[in-house]
This record gives sequence, C-alpha cells and structure tokens, in this order.
Amino acid sequence: MLKLFFFITLLSSLIYSQQIDFNSPSNIKLFADYLFCDKDYFRAIDEYEKYLQIVEDDSVQFKIAIGYSAINDQSNAYKKFSSIKLTSSFYEQSKIEMLKSLYLQNIDSSYFLYADILTHSQSPFSNNAYRLKNSSLLLIKNDLPEKENFLIPFENEEKKSLSNFYDLKNNPPYKSEVRAGILSAIIPGAGKIYTYDYGDGITAFILTGLFAYLAYTNFEHNHPTRAWIFTAIGAGFYAGNIYGSVASAQIFNARVNFEFNEGVKLFLEEKNYFVPTNDFCK
Amino acid sequence: MIINKKYFLLFILVFQSTNYSQTDWVRWEKSDPTYQIAETYLEREYDLSIKSAADVIVKPIINTYWFFISDVDGANCPFHPSCSSFLVQSMKETNIIRGTLMFFDRFTRDTNAFGRHEHYPRFGTNHYYDPISLYTLDATKIKYIPTNTFIKE
Repeated sequence: MLKLFFFITLLSSLIYSQQIDFNSPSNIKLFADYLFCDKDYFRAIDEYEKYLQIVEDDSVQFKIAIGYSAINDQSNAYKKFSSIKLTSSFYEQSKIEMLKSLYLQNIDSSYFLYADILTHSQSPFSNNAYRLKNSSLLLIKNDLPEKENFLIPFENEEKKSLSNFYDLKNNPPYKSEVRAGILSAIIPGAGKIYTYDYGDGITAFILTGLFAYLAYTNFEHNHPTRAWIFTAIGAGFYAGNIYGSVASAQIFNARVNFEFNEGVKLFLEEKNYFVPTNDFCK
Repeated sequence: MIINKKYFLLFILVFQSTNYSQTDWVRWEKSDPTYQIAETYLEREYDLSIKSAADVIVKPIINTYWFFISDVDGANCPFHPSCSSFLVQSMKETNIIRGTLMFFDRFTRDTNAFGRHEHYPRFGTNHYYDPISLYTLDATKIKYIPTNTFIKE
C-alpha cells in the first residue's frame, strides 16, 4: 500500500510537472509585453533588458525608452531613444521622442537648439517638432514671434487654442498693483474687491469704518485716550489694507501666470507633445 | 533501518516550528502610541534677544501673549503660520513698519470668515496656508499654490 502511494506520487510529479521554460526569450518577451500593456513599466523594462541580452530587437529598445518616458525618467528615456540605430524603423520617431524628453526635462537652450535642428531636417516629424517648439515658446519669457508666423505649423483645430494662448501671453489679464493700492486708499477694501477678494474687501471696509466711527464718537464725547487708541487701530487697518491690496494684486497676477502655464502644459499633454503614438497592445 | 514513526513525527514538528517560525518580533513589540493631535502651534520660539528695533517692542508683547493667552487658549487661528507668528516672521523678514502693515492685513483676512476654502491651500488637518512670502511685495518670492492643495505639516 505504502509502495503504491509512493509510486503514484512519484509518477504524477513526473508526468504532470511544469514543462514550460519561463526563461526562454519568447516567454520573457511575452511576459514583458504583458507588463508593458498593464502599464507596469518598471518591471517591463527589467524583463525587456533581460530579453535584449539574448536577442537584438529595435522595437524592444524603443519600448524600453517609451517605458522610461511613461514613468517620467526622461534622462534614461533620452539615452534609450538616442541609442536607436539609423537602420531601425523607429529611428525617426525616436528623434521626436528625444525632443519630448528634452522638453520634459527642462526648456533650455539645448532644447531649442535640438528643436531647430529637427524642424529644419527632412524628418517626417519635422512639423511635429516645429509645433512643440512654438508651443513651448509660450512657457518662457522671451518675446513671441508674430501671431501669423507663430500659428503656421498648427492644424486648424489647434489654431484656435493656440491663438487664445498667444493672446493671453501677450495681454495677460493682470491687475494693476498701483490701481489696487489707490482704490483702497480712496475706499477701504475697494482694492481687494478689484482683485476679486470680495470677502476681504468688505471686511476691510467694515473694520476701518467701525474703528473710524469709534474714534469719532470718543473724540466727540471727550474720551481722548480711547479715541486715540481707536484712531491708531483704525489707521492700522486702513494702511494695512492699502498694503494688502497691492499684495493681493501681485498674488492675483501670480495666479494668472500659474494658470496660464498649467493650461499650456495640459494642452501639450493632451496632444502628447505632438508625438505620434504607437499602439503596442492591440 | 526503520525510523520510529513517533520520532519521525516529532522531528518534522520540531523542524517545521524552527524553520518557519516567526522571527520578526519587532512589529509585535509593545509600543506606546500617542493619539494626541500634534500641536505644532505650541512650538513657539520664545526668545527675548534683541536684534532690531522691532524686537524691543514686539517680542515682549508676543511672548507675553503666547505664554498667558495663546498657549492656554489653544490653536484657534485658522491660518498657518498663526497671526502672532506671522507678525514676528514678517518683522524679521522686512521691518517694523511693513511688518505692522502685513499684520493688520493678515488680521483683516483672519476676521473674514467667508470664502476661505476657495482662497487658501490647506495646511495639515484644519489650517489654511498663508505664508509671509506672499506679502513681502517681492513678486519673485511669490510661489502660487492652488487652493485645493494639501500641504503636509
């Protein structure tokens, strides 16, 4: 009985044991592709690297670079895209991907230099580079080119958004700090209302008015000590509000800049930085 | 040689329990957690050293206020830094006149209880973030933070 039991155990373990070679190149790639399509880029890159040690494959190299780009490791993405060989079918696309990586790292002179080179090249993606370059001009402080020239590379549906961005960049809806200060000097709180801080503006008006009234009635009823205390506090609120209105205009303008930059960045993200996408997960 | 079943069973039990037993006892060790909410407002810089003219007037008043009123009363200021800390920091950052103006402006904002949620980012669990850097009138120092942002303590 015991012998039969051991025999069955041994036999079944031999017959039904796992026979698949998980470390074969095709299975490594299969697993890596699964991870890639599951957006588990960290592990997908590891598996693809393992695969590349056995097989040379430019599409896998490209996928590794895409993976680095997706996890926002733009430095490694740039290196991987630049290692794609001239003979590869992904060569041209990797160039525009390199520009995207440079943009996401830092919009500096080397980025614009590379964008210029790509724009004037024979690449099928030269117009994409031109569009990305012009869009990123909106994020730096330099003067923009003429509107007509600025909009040349864009398609009609993009032109509307870019035209709005262009106008906002040239004429941002800033609030004047001086005007805010003067308004608050004339009517306490008016400067804050001018910068859309309605609650603060009304509060400033009430506080200044209240202490002015208290000071006035105390002077009128011959209580000079209390009157002078209320005068000092009222004057503090009055002057503080003028100061605060100027600061409020500055904060408003900072918000305008912030929202503009975020808007442009979001637009570019939605357009995938004018870089064509490959669906590797069909 | 036939192994005695009893010893064999005993061996397996001992082997199992020694090899697969729990070795990481750190997580099970007794600890004394505190459930008290962190009161960062109590981290006062009680200091009477005089480095500027403003310190002569402001520091004694602020220290007295903190010691006798604020620390006893609790963290009632809705902002971070609190209004009193804002006054001290603004005077350190600028000067006595601008610091005073910044304080009066802050106090106006403190008095206004409406629309705070739409106006300020949050600090910790129940404070609004309103740093001095926004009010020094130096536009380069202003780092705009969107209102729906949560800043960790």
